[in-house]
Amino acid sequence: MIAPIGFQRKNDRELIVVWSDRKRSSFEVRELRLNCPCAVCVNEWTGKKMLRSDDVPENVRPLRIFSVGRYAMGIEWSDGHSTGIYGYDYMRRLEAASLPRAGS
Amino acid sequence: MNQPSPQSQIPKPTRTELLQDVRHIVAVASGKGGVGKSTATANLAVALANTGAKVGVLDADIYGPSMSLMFGVIKAPEINEAKKLVPVTVRGIKVVSMAMFDEGEKPVVWRGPMVSQMIQNFVFNVVWGELDYLLIDMPPGTGDVQLTLTQNAPLSGAVILTTPQEVSALDAKKGLKMFQKVNVPVLGIVENMSYFICDECAKKHYIFRQGGGRRISESLGVPFLGEIPLEPEVAEGGDAGTPIVERRPNSPAAQAYTAVAAAMVSALKILSAEQAGLLGEFSLKWEEIPEA
Repeated sequence: MIAPIGFQRKNDRELIVVWSDRKRSSFEVRELRLNCPCAVCVNEWTGKKMLRSDDVPENVRPLRIFSVGRYAMGIEWSDGHSTGIYGYDYMRRLEAASLPRAGS
Repeated sequence: MNQPSPQSQIPKPTRTELLQDVRHIVAVASGKGGVGKSTATANLAVALANTGAKVGVLDADIYGPSMSLMFGVIKAPEINEAKKLVPVTVRGIKVVSMAMFDEGEKPVVWRGPMVSQMIQNFVFNVVWGELDYLLIDMPPGTGDVQLTLTQNAPLSGAVILTTPQEVSALDAKKGLKMFQKVNVPVLGIVENMSYFICDECAKKHYIFRQGGGRRISESLGVPFLGEIPLEPEVAEGGDAGTPIVERRPNSPAAQAYTAVAAAMVSALKILSAEQAGLLGEFSLKWEEIPEA
């Protein structure tokens, strides 16, 4: 069972998750917002992304992060959005997928 | 850059005040209906209470609640000044069930959103007080109620009940996978109706075949917590409002329940140790997160 053991942030731009297997994942916060998996941002049936990059302010940032059960976290965003449930496995996949261009 | 949204005014609760003194919340679940979940929940509750633990039972089987019957409760919970539900205490065990709001034999006919709302009320608007264990009698299957509970109630773990037949084992596996998907640790498998002890020959008759529950636990790598025999008195105890663990503590079924409760407690202890470093529940303002 992979779950967070700690969080850090870099300014208002990056959320760092330290996982129970000691791995550290770094997320650019706007990327996280753009990858919101909720049914408004992603079509539930087709999986098509409904959220466009233009819809999200450049300076969007989390106001609060909170646990959802034991498997996920939610984020309240400065743009008023908060319905996304970021499963821990989803976050790990997201991080792996964006790895090539990480290294900031 | 700071533009507080309307949502930021509403504090997002983690473990609510009403649940903060509950040490472990354990779901008693099965894939299939009719495997004896409510009976098992009631008996495990009594077995735990017998060890001196403070125990609560939440009957989350909205459509087919039976916990009132199991404990012989006829009154409805009171609502206190703060508009919170006060559980009915039966011989030291705090019980809340949809059945307590029953209008006679009228069925509850609700769609998903109503059910989710009621479940949230049951979890978050009940004054549970200090409890060592809150057992949740889950409805069968993998649906709305299960999802709502796994997302909202901070479950310590789940016990999966099955019977020896293949069809029950199949559904138990599904239930187990659902809990794994939402990261709720499965404390173990309990096999109900494992064997029948004939009063003539005192021999164990494995009428539904032997070892089904143990096989699933082995194939899925979760502990096997024990076998409960089929005894007519188990059902009699349920119908009479006195679980068999209380009514006939020396019967084989009562002793089996007591052993399962002990195995569950030790599984919880191991888990707590394993998860010592995990954040579990959290709700952090962005500013509260330390700078890297």
